[in-house]
Amino acid sequence: MSKKMKNITPKKKKKRNTLARWFRQTVLRKHDIDYDNPEVIETPLKIVAQNFFAKKTAVFGVVVFLLILLVVLIGPYFFKLNLGEHEQTLIHIPPSNNMMKIPKEMHGRIRDIAPGTTFGIGVDVEGKVYSWGHTRVTDRINLNEIPDEVQEADLKLIAAGMDHAVALDTNGKLMVWGNTRRSQARFTPDMEKAQKSGKNWNIVQLEAGMQVSAALDEGGYLYLWGNRSNFDLGIKREYQGNIAKIAFLANEYISLLKDGNVAYTGIKGKGSPFSRIPDELLQGKTIDIAATDRTCAGLTEDGKVYFWGRLEKGESEMPEIDSKIVKIEGGRYHYSALLENGNVVSWGSNDYNQTAAPAKVTSGGNVKELYVGNFQNYAILENGEHVTWGLSGFPLGTDNFGRDMLVRIINGGRVTMLVGAIAVVIATIIGVILGGLAGYFGGAVDLIIMRISEVVGGLPFIPFAMILSAVIGSRLDPTQRMYLIMIVLGVLSWVGTCRLVRAQFFAQREMEYVTAAKAMGIREGAIIFRHILPNVFSLLLVSMTLDFATSMLTESTLSYLGFGIPLPTPTWGNLLTGANNSIIIQQYWWRWVFPAAIFGMCTICINLIGDGLRDAMDPKSTER
Amino acid sequence: MGKYVLKRLVYIVIVFFIISFLMYALYNLIPTDPARAQLEPMRPQLKPDEYFRMYEQLRKEMGLDDHLVIRYARWMGIIKGLKGEFDGLLQGNFGYSQTFKKPVVQQITEPMKNTIFINIFATIAALGITLPLGVYCAVHKGKKFDTTVQTMSILGYSLPIFIISLIFMYFFVVRWGIFPLMGSKTPNASYEPGSWAEFVDKLYHIALPVIVMTFASLGGMTRYVRSSMIEALGTDYIRTARAKGLREKVVIYSHAWRNALLPIITSILAWFLGIFGGSVIIENTFSLNGMGKLYWTGLNTLDFELVLAIQMFYTAVSLIGSLLIDLSYGIVDPRVRVDK
Repeated sequence: MSKKMKNITPKKKKKRNTLARWFRQTVLRKHDIDYDNPEVIETPLKIVAQNFFAKKTAVFGVVVFLLILLVVLIGPYFFKLNLGEHEQTLIHIPPSNNMMKIPKEMHGRIRDIAPGTTFGIGVDVEGKVYSWGHTRVTDRINLNEIPDEVQEADLKLIAAGMDHAVALDTNGKLMVWGNTRRSQARFTPDMEKAQKSGKNWNIVQLEAGMQVSAALDEGGYLYLWGNRSNFDLGIKREYQGNIAKIAFLANEYISLLKDGNVAYTGIKGKGSPFSRIPDELLQGKTIDIAATDRTCAGLTEDGKVYFWGRLEKGESEMPEIDSKIVKIEGGRYHYSALLENGNVVSWGSNDYNQTAAPAKVTSGGNVKELYVGNFQNYAILENGEHVTWGLSGFPLGTDNFGRDMLVRIINGGRVTMLVGAIAVVIATIIGVILGGLAGYFGGAVDLIIMRISEVVGGLPFIPFAMILSAVIGSRLDPTQRMYLIMIVLGVLSWVGTCRLVRAQFFAQREMEYVTAAKAMGIREGAIIFRHILPNVFSLLLVSMTLDFATSMLTESTLSYLGFGIPLPTPTWGNLLTGANNSIIIQQYWWRWVFPAAIFGMCTICINLIGDGLRDAMDPKSTER
Repeated sequence: MGKYVLKRLVYIVIVFFIISFLMYALYNLIPTDPARAQLEPMRPQLKPDEYFRMYEQLRKEMGLDDHLVIRYARWMGIIKGLKGEFDGLLQGNFGYSQTFKKPVVQQITEPMKNTIFINIFATIAALGITLPLGVYCAVHKGKKFDTTVQTMSILGYSLPIFIISLIFMYFFVVRWGIFPLMGSKTPNASYEPGSWAEFVDKLYHIALPVIVMTFASLGGMTRYVRSSMIEALGTDYIRTARAKGLREKVVIYSHAWRNALLPIITSILAWFLGIFGGSVIIENTFSLNGMGKLYWTGLNTLDFELVLAIQMFYTAVSLIGSLLIDLSYGIVDPRVRVDK
């Protein structure tokens, strides 16, 4: 038909390659014809598009699906997936964005800030205590519930550990709240004595770590209390009364002595890896120390910083500094330092933006005080304003390994969609070839193909896919397993497409244009794929859309059961693995609500698009 | 009709053997060695060469070195087994479960009962709802009720069944506390086996899974019934029937309904299989003692014979299902009987 038309308008005749011509003719329904008659301009595609976009649900489906697709395609470049991620302190955090949100009442009146793991506790100039962030440290304990005696007291110092907080009032009274079941509030006898008598009890530094706390007296006496099982909680007699500052690591602590030397003052002594202190810090010229989880840093008079410990996360990669460091503070995996010129510099791990200090503090030159904890940094400026950087929260919460659900949902979506799409392509290719052959040739070919398709279609899908995945997949690595799932899904789900194509071919092969093509001596393969197939294409498109949703559902189901893509690679299915217990359903609701919601939204939208397309292409359906 | 049934039966038997052979061959790809597993506990007491000799002998006894086809035939019970008797699947010997240390037949009886019970329950419930609902929507198409059902049904077939389970669990178990979260019976319950109390307890435990399964299958099925009913209502003979002055009820239920039933019956097969496949997910989510849960356990522990037996169960269910569909097709559609 088109050839004839082309002869009518020779001016327009352009040489195009076969694929482009086929695409134009079938998908765009544009023939290389210049009609003089404007009435004919309404092409079938236009009608389909008009019908499609007239349906509100279909348009909604397209818009939302495209949004999700965009997020899933582009998102992984911004939210990089770290498969080995495991952060003990950030497990099961609900959706939050307030970990560094200092209450309004405290603005400009900050006396002390203690950054905890996922929360912060602060004292204002009047000694009143405030807390913010995710303070529910366990199911029952909420650090937000500050005891009355703490609230009424005029607080001087404050410290926050993993699940408890310590505060000291101006009268020298020490108070602990939060989780106290691991002897976090059990003071040692000499502490009690000192507290009563007031001797050696002029506390200048309070520290709190993982269920342990420390208080340092101005005279150099160190008091340590808490859960001793995981922490080297003790002090060698020879150092007592000689300590100027301490810094907590994860399971140890180091001390700066009054003579300007750094020492490992714990009971472990030389047995600890952190006792190998650089010589430069033993010259009596150390002015400050800091520690992260597994590394220590010491600052000497000339502003130089020396590191030791397990420097695995870039803790020692200090940037070039044009000024002298006067104070250094450690987070969990990073350090921040205050410079002489009033600027701040941060380095170390940047997984949670801990080192992404804003320009206001890196070049503003008016930072007065710096508080650094786990993943948070608080800088107080000369004018009383505060600037924060670091982990402010997880918009969609975290899972049982402390991994950000947002990152996992975005990356999981990419896997699920990719697997679904490729499975559909495989299924369509098999279905079209077999269906085309069966429908075009009929007879024995048809009989055999239909019997095969009956067998495949009769297999119970999920159990069969499970067995294939288990048997073949046990020897494959995760990437190969992903390909395996694509192939298994494709190979098991072509039956519907095959039947559709076959039925269409039965109808099409009786058409005149096929007879004409045969009469012209065109090869049968060409007739099938270049003449008949384009006419079936529109229906195929609909079935592909709907199959895409089905494939995604099947992949997620397999992954949910543990026979699809294995963890830790996330997919929308295996994010929900293990969510079927009442604790997760109720308390950690964000672990299933968000993946389920976005996945449900996605499949609903694809089905809406598929339905809309089918209705738009099927003239009969408009009557319905 | 007789010839038609016979033809279908022969066909199904052939398919059963093909599938079972494929499954057997597939499962033989797993690198397991039952002879070694049996000998392993004795290994410390044996000398290496003695161990090796016993191992070889055991392999021979178990017939592990024979050709795949022979092993398959033996397993199936088509040829004589190692003890000189026909002792295979066809004789009711489903093998021995390594995980549970007892014959597979014993192990699967109870789960099979549960699974069939749940599935038939869910099927009847779903059919009981979808058929009237679909017909009603088709007759009143375009009305508010119909549009609402259409929109809702998209939810039903777009959401995977485990998400529906989680949502239902949240409301029915966690929020309202109506049903138990998981398991197929109350732990440490003191009632006699076979008593009324046991039955009630069982119903109480499977109620939520059945509700979820029913809900999950509502969407797709309702849409299907509706569209085939609409198609039937749009045909010429319906116009003729109406022109004859027949009552609308007669037109709908006698003329249109019987013709709409044909495509519905075909789709019921796919749907019924889907329910059985879906029960793997449901049983695992709700921790029910059913075939799906057992299958999952078997696959995870690579329990060769157990999984194979359950896979055969699934295959048999699908084949019997398709036979039933064919038969009912023959009953509903006179043309099928005459033609073939």
